[in-house]
Amino acid sequence: MSATATCPPAETTRHRVDVAFGMAIFIGAWSMAFLTLFLSFLIIRHRQPQWPPPGVMLPSLGLAAAGTAVLLASSVALHAALRRLRAGARGFSARWAAGLLLALVFAGLQTALWTGTWRAGAYPDSGIYEGLFYMLTWFHGAHVACGLVALLWVAGAAARAGAPRLSTASSVAVFWHFVDALWLVLFVGFFLV
Amino acid sequence: MSGDHIHPRPTSFLRRYVFSTDHKVIAKQFMWMGFVWLFVGGVMAMMIRWQLAHPGVPVPLVGKLFYPRSSGAVPPDGYNTLFTMHGTIMIFLGLTPLMIGAFGNFCIPLMIGARDMIFPTLNMLSFWTLVPGALVGLFSLFVPLGAAEGGWTAYPTLSSTIGTPGTGETMWAISVFLIGASSIMGGINYITTTVRLRAPGMTWGRLPLTVWGLFFTSILNVLFLPVIGSAMILMVLDRAFGTSFFVPATIAHGGGGDPILYQHLFWIFGHPEVYILILPAWGFVGDLLSFFARKPAFGYKVTVGAMAAVTILSAVVYGHHMFTTGMTAMLGESFMLLTMIISVPGEILFFNWLHTLWRGNLRLTSSMLFAMGVIFVFGLGGLTGIYLATISTDIYLHDTYFVVGHFHLTMAASALFGTFAACYFWFPKMYGKVLSERLGKLHFWTTIIPLTIVFCTMFVSGYGGMPRRYYDHTGNPYTAELQWLNDITTVAAFVLGAAQLLFAWNVIKTVAGKRTAAQNPWEVGTLEWTVPSPPPHHNFDSIPLVVTGPHEFSNPAIRDGKDWIYQTEPLAS
Repeated sequence: MSATATCPPAETTRHRVDVAFGMAIFIGAWSMAFLTLFLSFLIIRHRQPQWPPPGVMLPSLGLAAAGTAVLLASSVALHAALRRLRAGARGFSARWAAGLLLALVFAGLQTALWTGTWRAGAYPDSGIYEGLFYMLTWFHGAHVACGLVALLWVAGAAARAGAPRLSTASSVAVFWHFVDALWLVLFVGFFLV
Repeated sequence: MSGDHIHPRPTSFLRRYVFSTDHKVIAKQFMWMGFVWLFVGGVMAMMIRWQLAHPGVPVPLVGKLFYPRSSGAVPPDGYNTLFTMHGTIMIFLGLTPLMIGAFGNFCIPLMIGARDMIFPTLNMLSFWTLVPGALVGLFSLFVPLGAAEGGWTAYPTLSSTIGTPGTGETMWAISVFLIGASSIMGGINYITTTVRLRAPGMTWGRLPLTVWGLFFTSILNVLFLPVIGSAMILMVLDRAFGTSFFVPATIAHGGGGDPILYQHLFWIFGHPEVYILILPAWGFVGDLLSFFARKPAFGYKVTVGAMAAVTILSAVVYGHHMFTTGMTAMLGESFMLLTMIISVPGEILFFNWLHTLWRGNLRLTSSMLFAMGVIFVFGLGGLTGIYLATISTDIYLHDTYFVVGHFHLTMAASALFGTFAACYFWFPKMYGKVLSERLGKLHFWTTIIPLTIVFCTMFVSGYGGMPRRYYDHTGNPYTAELQWLNDITTVAAFVLGAAQLLFAWNVIKTVAGKRTAAQNPWEVGTLEWTVPSPPPHHNFDSIPLVVTGPHEFSNPAIRDGKDWIYQTEPLAS
């Protein structure tokens, strides 16, 4: 039992390619959605005489930077987990769990970012800067929430059957990398530049 | 995986008819949903026409029911709601579910030789995301201050809380978002299915044009529905959370956003949406003309290439909807030129269709009549589009009834005719029951004649200066003179509306009737006709091996006195 514990349930290569193909189209579609919001942000920002507008409460850069590091680490952990699963080696569950944990830490840091900004009196209707901040991070946060559910689901499958299906685990990992990439664009585009 | 091996048919009622993953059942669910909403949207159109012919006069029959407070007359805000919801319902809940949901689902797996869609659960989810989308739209009609009033394009500031204070507009945005999500799921499924599940031998060059049309539509769906989804997110935030993405900067209000930004986002989606609705119809027409002219589709590869060119061009012409927003001349001329270029692949399609008919052995079934009707109405709409693509004439014709006539002929009438053609053609395969040809032909003639009158009189009144979306145009002595044209349009529209009851009667009567359809009543060779009518749960007992193209009609190599051959049969050498 322990020797085969990390072997994913059997599925054909054809099926894996089918799922990967569908996932690629899905990511393409969602990139369009994100691109729309991000370009809208850039256009509105470009129209402002000054950026950030004078007198706005800037959200904590420290929390956002810490979140970036944690999120990148979670992607690395998931990638490592997937490599184990593909090779049929041990150690998938531990790495996946680490990735899940880091993802949860990111969600916690985001919550701290929102509550901190909110408590400081910056609301979505305070001004265009605040509106854009909440819009972009909420949109990203919704994807984080979906990603967390998916990560948990795969962890559950691994706990039940020893290992998840390779196609499921890699789809979820791809989605999480996508969430990660979105955040990088946001972090650079909104917080740094 | 469902494409490769046979799943047993589910036995419980819920799994079989409600939460079914069978593409044929989902197709029927989409179809009935589309029919119901076409009826709702059609009734709204009739009420709009009544108001335009008799402004402020109580609507006969149904007026008291809908507008008790104004004793049956359409009130001004009610009129805004009518044209907004008419457009939204017809596009998102009528035509999209019918063409793409119903016939996309039904045709793609059967025509490419697959047992089901590649992701059956996603397919089910696609329908069950559309349902809440439709319900939110439906309930928005009954909230205080009424449903959306900002037009189907929902431009801010008309759609902002200042223009439309009621919750109806917010619900409209949520509804469009959900419907968009449903279309994206469908698109992912259709593309992956077409690429990955074609039967052995079903090369890209042997795909029926129907599948090509739906394939291109799906590409546009997954690329551009997310854009409107994001625009709806911004609109809901503006309306419900007080952000100001579409509120212009003013000293008094703060603001900082841009209402024109919304117009860009809307038309980046909105122009491809026009082609999302017309490409499947073009696909149906390409196949049906060949099937009923008993000739190969002329220039098959060129037709596919032209459809591909239109798909690509559709993404880069959206600015022609915004010539009056004050865009720079350079940008406007670029959009004008790109729009004009679309007429080149458009004309290629026309010549290929006409050449397919040329010296063919025409069988004028209801399906064929409607397919030929698409050529006629799309021709009228396409030619008048040139005036709207040209900046100098568009600035005069913008927001007049000329535009209304143009887009109804292209994206509404053509798409609807394509849908009717598809209904008459595939109904025997869907239900094992043939729609009445006698009623069908009557339906065709009672549809195309009033329809042409409706939209051609709109061209004239629009050219004369009749503006869109006016509650009462009789107040202005100049537009009041156009009343006689509006009267003609309205009478013809009522005839057109009544004629659709023939179709409804035909469908209901046939579905309630006995199964009589043969396996291949039209003598056509594509794969769906190689299986019984209706097909078994798993479609094909064994996955077919395709050896010929879809349009091998009247080929001299076909023996036994037939003029057609199945795609699974080889041509004699």
